[in-house]
Amino acid sequence: MTVSTARRSRSGTKSLGVRRTPRLSVAGFLMALPPIVLVLLFVGLPVILALGFSLGFTGGLNTVVSLVGQQVHKATDWWGTLAAWADVFGDTQFLTNLAVTVVVTVVSAVVVLGMSIGIGLYLRMRGGWFATMLSGLAVVPLFIPVVIASWAILTFYAGDGFIRSVFASVGLVGPTWGYTVVAIVIGSVWTSLPFAVLMISSGFQSIPDAMIEAAQDAGASRARIAFSILIPMSSVPIVIASTFTAIGVIGSFTVPYFTGPNAPTMLGVMLTSYFTAFNRPQQSIVMAFTIFIVAAAIGAFYVWANFRSAKEQGRA
Amino acid sequence: MSAVTDRTPPPAVEYDRPEPQLEERSPLVSRIAGRALIVLFSAFMILFILGPLAWLAVHAFATSWTFPNLWPNGWTLHWFGTVFSDPGLGAAVQNSLVISPIVVLCSAVICLPAAYAFARHEFFARRTFLVGLFATNAFPKMGLFATLASLFYALNLMNTVVGIVIVQLLGTIVFMTWIPAAAFSAVPRSLEEAARDAGASKLRVFFRITLPMALPGILVAIVMSFLASFDEAQGTYLVGAPDYFTMPTEMYTLVLNYPKQVAAVFSILLSIPSVVLLLVARKHIMGGQLAEGFQIR
Repeated sequence: MTVSTARRSRSGTKSLGVRRTPRLSVAGFLMALPPIVLVLLFVGLPVILALGFSLGFTGGLNTVVSLVGQQVHKATDWWGTLAAWADVFGDTQFLTNLAVTVVVTVVSAVVVLGMSIGIGLYLRMRGGWFATMLSGLAVVPLFIPVVIASWAILTFYAGDGFIRSVFASVGLVGPTWGYTVVAIVIGSVWTSLPFAVLMISSGFQSIPDAMIEAAQDAGASRARIAFSILIPMSSVPIVIASTFTAIGVIGSFTVPYFTGPNAPTMLGVMLTSYFTAFNRPQQSIVMAFTIFIVAAAIGAFYVWANFRSAKEQGRA
Repeated sequence: MSAVTDRTPPPAVEYDRPEPQLEERSPLVSRIAGRALIVLFSAFMILFILGPLAWLAVHAFATSWTFPNLWPNGWTLHWFGTVFSDPGLGAAVQNSLVISPIVVLCSAVICLPAAYAFARHEFFARRTFLVGLFATNAFPKMGLFATLASLFYALNLMNTVVGIVIVQLLGTIVFMTWIPAAAFSAVPRSLEEAARDAGASKLRVFFRITLPMALPGILVAIVMSFLASFDEAQGTYLVGAPDYFTMPTEMYTLVLNYPKQVAAVFSILLSIPSVVLLLVARKHIMGGQLAEGFQIR
């Protein structure tokens, strides 16, 4: 591993030595190529094949899937057919699940943002061991496999779980959140929190002390410092945290599969059961593209925010 | 960015300094309310984050449990025996512990040179490449695996270790390029140039200056990649089942077929590698290496 790294970087720096600011480095391009090729081959190509398949192109590498699958529509025009898309979008259950998916995503993202901004502000403005412990606590889920987290959350909020037991011990009937959409939100927030907290608190930490002290000297309240200085200046990390959270939640499978109800559920679960249990791959892929289109829109927001900040800082 | 120098001092002491001034200004009531709010929020966080984990962990040692009780009916280590004596579970543990390091190694070989290139070279379509690598995360995993399956059939990769490695590799690429790229670009060029001026060879500069300074970032990338690979269940199940089960894919069947206590024991076992890694890399992950890695440059 180290040998190949060294050899490559050496040939890379050679071209650097000639010109101090090389516009286009061939060595750099070649070094960057392996992961790109891997992604093109095993993500790009399948996605294009999938798009074709969803439009009814069943030949070539799609042959196996279309032979095995049921209710596969074949292309009728030169550009394909929208029959599978019509199948999916004409299904009220799909539309319900799409709505559930969007609502769960939005609610989870808002809760995650609120919690991580709160923790980040507290860490930045107060500091101390208590704040450090709080943010450390928020990072714990990063190290727990999602499968376990989902299972743990289900048992905690289930009919015979901790919450209900506590309520029962004082003579009340507690809510059963296991196998409900509420549990999906709880699970999504639980698993998304660490990344958002790390991202946002590092954004707050990089704001210079001098700025906060100047505002304090001018008589600004804490709330004003938070809303007029810290949050606006960390807009890029906040946008990154929210897009990653939203993209992570919208395509999630494990959390809704374990903690959520059978119906309505999230599209990640629905497309999986269409692929494996119902053996309708074409419809399953249409759902995957629906999620992808929404996720791509969220991702575009992230890229835009990043480039805008790069321009502001004169890096672009 | 000057991130390296910014990050190193522990911030806690410094931010406390302007504190007394502020405290005098705010009235006592709102101060107490603020304190109460923070204590309440912390209590909520402990319950929210650790509650489910503790609840599950206790199950691993419980003989049985009657609903409204907050405590199990009795204690036992019997369920650990059940897990260790099951040959399928042992194989799953072994598969996980062999496959994940292979995935991390492959990912490092493929991605680290690229990370260096993204940090130190300007080349054709650099930005497009970076965003493209990110975009792999936007397509829902199951949809991708569904289409990947037909490609894998064509390439004879179904039910092979190579197939599993490729599937898991896809989830590590973003971590292994972006985080080290940020770490490499945070190494001041002036240091490298000074060493060159002092007569060090390019190879020596890379190994004695660039690599050691970027090492915390690379470590974080390795930890994140390991966890991503170790956690991956959907694609592994699709490609590996019924021949190869890893610990997370085994967990899916466990939850359905065994008593709750067995799944709890297995959860504890499955968490051990993650917790060990947490202890190794905690400082760097909390220190901002992870956050730093996700800002496009």
